[in-house]
Amino acid sequence: METLSLLGQGFVIALSPLNIGLLLMGCFVGTLLGALPGLGPVNGVAVLIPLTFAFGFDPTSSMILLCAVYFGCMYGGRISSILLNIPGDEPAIMTTLDGYPMAVQGQAANALAISGVASFIGATIAVIGLSLFAPILARAAIHFGPADYFALYILAFATIGGIAGVDPRKTLLSAMIGLVLATVGLDPISGVPRYTFDSFHLYDGVEPIVALVGLFAISEILMLLEKTLKDRPKAIPVGSWLPQWGAIWRTRWAMLRGSGVGFVAGVLPGAGASLGSFMAYVAEKQTSNKKGTFGKGDPRGVAAPEAGNNAASGGALIPMLSLGVPGSGTTAVLLAMLVSLNVQPGPLLFERQPDLVWGLVASLYMANITLLILNLPMIGIFTRLMMTPTWALMPIVAAVTFVGVYSISNSVFDLEMMVFFGVLGYLLRKLDVSLVPLVLGLLLGGDMERNLRRAMSISDGDWSILIASPISIGLYILTAGFLALSVWLAVRDHRQSQADRLTEG
Amino acid sequence: MGVVIFVIAALYTRQAGTYAITFGDVLGPTVFPIIVGIPMMLLSASLVVFPTGQVDWPAPQRMWRQLAALAVLVGYTLTLEPLGFPLATFALIALIGIILGGAPWRAVLLGAIMAPALWALFDQLLGLPLDFLGELFVAD
Amino acid sequence: MIFRMMTTAKIGAAMATAMTLTALPASATECIAPSNPGGGWDFTCRTIGRILTELDLVDGNVQVTNMPGGVGAVTFAMVASERPDDAELIVATSTVGITQIAQGRYPAPLDSMRYLAMLGADVGVIAVDDDSPIQSLEELNAAMLEDASAIVTAGSSGAGGWDHIRLLMVADAAGVDDLGAIRWVQFDGGTDAVTQMMGGQIDVVSTDLGEIAGFVESGDIRVLAALSDDPIPAFPDIPTAISQGIDVTGYNWRGLYTGGDVTDAEYAAWVEKLETLYNSEAWQTAATQSGLVPIWRGGEAFEAFVREQADVMEEISRDIGVIE
Repeated sequence: METLSLLGQGFVIALSPLNIGLLLMGCFVGTLLGALPGLGPVNGVAVLIPLTFAFGFDPTSSMILLCAVYFGCMYGGRISSILLNIPGDEPAIMTTLDGYPMAVQGQAANALAISGVASFIGATIAVIGLSLFAPILARAAIHFGPADYFALYILAFATIGGIAGVDPRKTLLSAMIGLVLATVGLDPISGVPRYTFDSFHLYDGVEPIVALVGLFAISEILMLLEKTLKDRPKAIPVGSWLPQWGAIWRTRWAMLRGSGVGFVAGVLPGAGASLGSFMAYVAEKQTSNKKGTFGKGDPRGVAAPEAGNNAASGGALIPMLSLGVPGSGTTAVLLAMLVSLNVQPGPLLFERQPDLVWGLVASLYMANITLLILNLPMIGIFTRLMMTPTWALMPIVAAVTFVGVYSISNSVFDLEMMVFFGVLGYLLRKLDVSLVPLVLGLLLGGDMERNLRRAMSISDGDWSILIASPISIGLYILTAGFLALSVWLAVRDHRQSQADRLTEG
Repeated sequence: MGVVIFVIAALYTRQAGTYAITFGDVLGPTVFPIIVGIPMMLLSASLVVFPTGQVDWPAPQRMWRQLAALAVLVGYTLTLEPLGFPLATFALIALIGIILGGAPWRAVLLGAIMAPALWALFDQLLGLPLDFLGELFVAD
Repeated sequence: MIFRMMTTAKIGAAMATAMTLTALPASATECIAPSNPGGGWDFTCRTIGRILTELDLVDGNVQVTNMPGGVGAVTFAMVASERPDDAELIVATSTVGITQIAQGRYPAPLDSMRYLAMLGADVGVIAVDDDSPIQSLEELNAAMLEDASAIVTAGSSGAGGWDHIRLLMVADAAGVDDLGAIRWVQFDGGTDAVTQMMGGQIDVVSTDLGEIAGFVESGDIRVLAALSDDPIPAFPDIPTAISQGIDVTGYNWRGLYTGGDVTDAEYAAWVEKLETLYNSEAWQTAATQSGLVPIWRGGEAFEAFVREQADVMEEISRDIGVIE
């Protein structure tokens, strides 16, 4: 009851004309930034911080604006994943797996609608979780130690083999290339530069967004160029400009499951939205991929990761607000802004600044509804984008990705890295190697290594610490179960196909 | 490809051994790269021995177009700072458009519209500064 | 349909223009925080940038750029090679940065920059969880003397960084011989380390008070000692290490440097602006609220101080065994 009355006060704050205006602006700008490949929520939020200072907004209004941008980016990232096979930001990579095939089959409108609704469900569940359980969840999350994080990453990488591609060995190899790339740069624990070839540009490691747009966008251009003009479709036919509501309803369980998985990943500091959407996808594939339709345009393969990434980004606000620990790159920027406005996030924030916390929570509910309303009518417009001929679309995409990366880093070196990753991505795609595990390896590898080393520092070199806590044991059992299930399914499918061949023959 | 990755993994693992463990760091910077490098060598070796899938590399004339596209992209990274943003981007969009098979006049038109539009979007609206004129045109 | 797309884009453009036109013009002044957003350097840049604008000491906004990498090494190298004479550029630094330079971890020597001023200092603290059996610094030292490898310590710096060194200085003063046996765990920030301590993964945290002050106020952690000369005004109950017989102080001052080829006149102008900022109400409030103790050292005096501290730090690092 107390929560409800606090939330009521929050709505009073959030409904002031200024805050509503900021909310609308944030949602719009966020969707735009998220949809542009090369610009993600981290940049989007960082770009708008000076603006909040310039206007002298109070901390609550500033947070409302920036969180609306944050949520907007999470909605927007999926658009180019589905339409162009180029993720708009890191968490949207999983959406390419089934979203783009759906679009190719003329189901772009459905894919966009499903992902929009899934984003709404995921984010709303996360906000409900935030308003009801934030302090309790934060207290639970602190029991996750370095060894447990390492076990979580092991679970993630063990299940990677199942996400896509023909040969699981190639998928694993792709993840390992990502892990290799993640070790490039100055090692934060010992301060030793690794694999930098004495170039200062590499001291900070490989920027994931640079690798991401290079691997997907540049390689897409190279792929298109090898087809002859004749057998390349001028534009993808659009089955319908309007989504079918039945198709959305059929993915309801996928959305709910994805939200649950994503939310848990978000609450754990450091795991973040990419892990949330990845785990949501894998979990959904494992539970409902009965006919082998995942990866070929299964609507549930769009619903689950989108619900997962939005739930995770909402969940990441919990450790940020109640512990002062950023759960992702974007929440780190939000945290920095709060601190420079003299708001100290941490255990006392909920008591001392109830206006800020509940005003923010209320505005997040409103942001979700706004984004849903904003996004559904835009589906028609975006699907028409698919009819733009390739010769016009791809140069613009290339230019946008270059500008997006350059405008943030002001580094020509980053652009050269993008081209390098484009060639790498092209070669790997030709060899049937999925690029998604590579990006995940790059995103998660650094934390995986650091947590392993932290665990070993705690135990003073005793490897048994990795299996010393109930949480890590549980995660390893889950990993083993997952692998066993995959092997069993693979064997069964093999037998099935042999039986089919026998009956056909 | 298995061979290439095997060689890279082997070099990577070898290089890992050269990083010294510093004071107070139990596992040190070498162990994790080795943990990744060795299975990577094994996996790539298994792909060499038991390959899967076949690759149709593009015909030589297609390869030329890909190389041309790469040349344009690299050229862009080199000309961006001297020429300034809108000019370099105009060239990028127009040339890639032509390589992708668009009619030349349309590609040029597209570049002429989109390059300034993108500059306006990023520099003016999003507040991310981009040089309008490059170093060649701005006298110090 | 491209045209229809453009119409929607235009509506958005109009909305965004409306908001940008009213925004202040971006000024040329830039403050680089050589870290990711959220840490102490980032706070330095964002707070000083905000107050410089509020006091009209610069035109328009100060652009804050995050350039993480190598605990400041990437930024240091960039300024030394590309912008040594850019008087519009200031860079945040602190004891942590000087420690890195003293240990030879930056690509350029200390005197390749001009050090402008320090505006405040964070106080190092040694803290344990509120459920910990260790009640005082004396008990902690006794435990370390008995078995140095029994205690797991952590902080926000890597092994051999400032958080680690401060802890080892305390242990050293208490007479612990085998300093290398004390376990040290690096976390990405002071709050990360504290929450891991609350979760029972580690025993002791050594870091700056500012970032973790919220946990001290809420009673989740117990501070055994403040590594300052005098008790901290905001937390008068926390005993100093000196008052417990351990003669160690460990401040983490916050300051700024600029390129090494900036002219004397430009350098003096910056020092003057920063002194005005230091004396302003806004800085004093912002600094105290985030747990800093305002301290001013500027110009020549500050440069001399930085050089001296680098020498001291090199000596300590060698004594403890962090560098050869």
